[in-house]
Amino acid sequence: MNRQEFEQRKSDEWSNLDLRIKGLEGRGPAVEPEKIPGMFRRVCHDLALAQYRMYGSLICDRLNSLSIRGYRLIHRSKGGFGECSIQFVFNTFPNSLRREWKLFVVSSLVFWVPFFLMWWSASQEIAWVQAILGPEMMMQVEGMYGKDADTVEYLRGEHGANFQMFTHYIKNNVGIDFKLFAGGILYGIGTLFFLVFNGLYIGAVFGYVDYAGDPEKLLTFVAGHSSFELLGMIVVGMAGLKMGFALLAPGRLSRAQSLTQAGRYALPLLIGGALMTGLAAVVEGFWSAQAISANVKYGVGIFFWILHLVYFLFVGRGYRGT
Amino acid sequence: MGKLERRLDTLQTVELAEGMEIHLRIAGPFLRLYAYLLDLVIMIAAVILIWIVIGISSFALGGNVAVGLINLALFVLLWFYPVFFEVSRKGATPGKMVLGLRVVNEAGGTLTFGASMVRNFVRIVEIIFPFLPLFSFLNPRFQRLGDLAAGSLVVYTRDRQDPVYLGPPALNSIPVNVALTREERAAIISFRHRSGNWSEARRAELGNHLNSLTGQAGSKGVATIVGMAHWLEDHS
Repeated sequence: MNRQEFEQRKSDEWSNLDLRIKGLEGRGPAVEPEKIPGMFRRVCHDLALAQYRMYGSLICDRLNSLSIRGYRLIHRSKGGFGECSIQFVFNTFPNSLRREWKLFVVSSLVFWVPFFLMWWSASQEIAWVQAILGPEMMMQVEGMYGKDADTVEYLRGEHGANFQMFTHYIKNNVGIDFKLFAGGILYGIGTLFFLVFNGLYIGAVFGYVDYAGDPEKLLTFVAGHSSFELLGMIVVGMAGLKMGFALLAPGRLSRAQSLTQAGRYALPLLIGGALMTGLAAVVEGFWSAQAISANVKYGVGIFFWILHLVYFLFVGRGYRGT
Repeated sequence: MGKLERRLDTLQTVELAEGMEIHLRIAGPFLRLYAYLLDLVIMIAAVILIWIVIGISSFALGGNVAVGLINLALFVLLWFYPVFFEVSRKGATPGKMVLGLRVVNEAGGTLTFGASMVRNFVRIVEIIFPFLPLFSFLNPRFQRLGDLAAGSLVVYTRDRQDPVYLGPPALNSIPVNVALTREERAAIISFRHRSGNWSEARRAELGNHLNSLTGQAGSKGVATIVGMAHWLEDHS
């Protein structure tokens, strides 16, 4: 069969498929979709044939773009947002956390070691803490958690103040999460930098409040959202480190392939960690600053930490192999 | 045809689950830079609009709520503006739409939400270190770092801009007596299909490279090649 014969014989079916695809793409009259998969496969076959027999660019281009459009329609992912979210929370996310437990250890150490070192250093020599915070931040910390500072509850009395702080935390903290993740592309250095820096900085705030302020004010404030925020950051750090390690040690893959693969595995960690940070913002905005007794706040804080432990260790164990 | 054909054009081949190969026309870095700048302008305009709208409504909402809404709007805009557009039906941000580009996964399909997030979040690093996007010149598919991490490509969606003219008709069918490789046959056939877009002189110039096969030069050689292409198309 030569080119003209081939084109004559098949052309009608191609235009037919073109019309149907247009209909589904919303650029033409509505059509019934059930015949499309079969026609699409025949066009794929025609394309392979035309390429092999070198029927030239006119036919091949036409079949090529038809195949791409058909492929897009047939292989598009279904919406199903609700089901996807449930699947994510109860299966994908906790399982990928456990699969990457080594990264969790690394990421945690990179954050907690500087944190506790800095906190501890305040009791020995305050200069380190002062150097990291700088005068402006020290004033701010004293304003919030100083011995004679107004309580946080008092500052939040104004209309809409809780909401404003909530959005502030979303913008800042989730934004930091995204940067933390992106830094992983620099062989992990960006992620490590942000984790260590956050560890030092938060540790310095704790140390400074111990030194010059009223620790109870700080601890009651952070107790509620600490687990969400710190673990969320560590989990996003895992996602960044995943990319970093993929570039450092690609194994048998090329660096580009290895990065693509790591991106797939890092994704649930990024989304899950960012969601945790988002929840932290909710707690921090609407709960942490409420005027409630310290013991209740500590209790809720501990409850959330245990909740995370249970979630990380046990949720989704039934679903294997996804 | 796979690898061989890559020497004849700049298309990228992707093999699909259906067992055939499709060709994607990869967009170059310059066009993508224009698209990015367009998006930047649109985003700046959107930021100004948000300030104005929420600023005016702050009289009704109260200052704290308005600041909160601005925070949320800026957060969504700055991080998710490209993501929402890329997972939409068009598969492209407005800047890319204007230039006829589309972001696709490695099989030519629409990106998932997650892949688009990875692709766009990595951009922050490329903004901090502006030399990083230059590495896309080293990649045969012009992927920047975010594209590599997400497994995505930027392709042209529009059909070819230049009209395809049919080449000169074959006057006769000339058998080829030499054993040719597939690539050589493909080259001769595409010479015929593409020659409609070239001037007479250009055809002759390219045709002269086939001197050893046709034994003729200039327009006579071109006529011979076209005849051979005709014969090859009938006999392959």
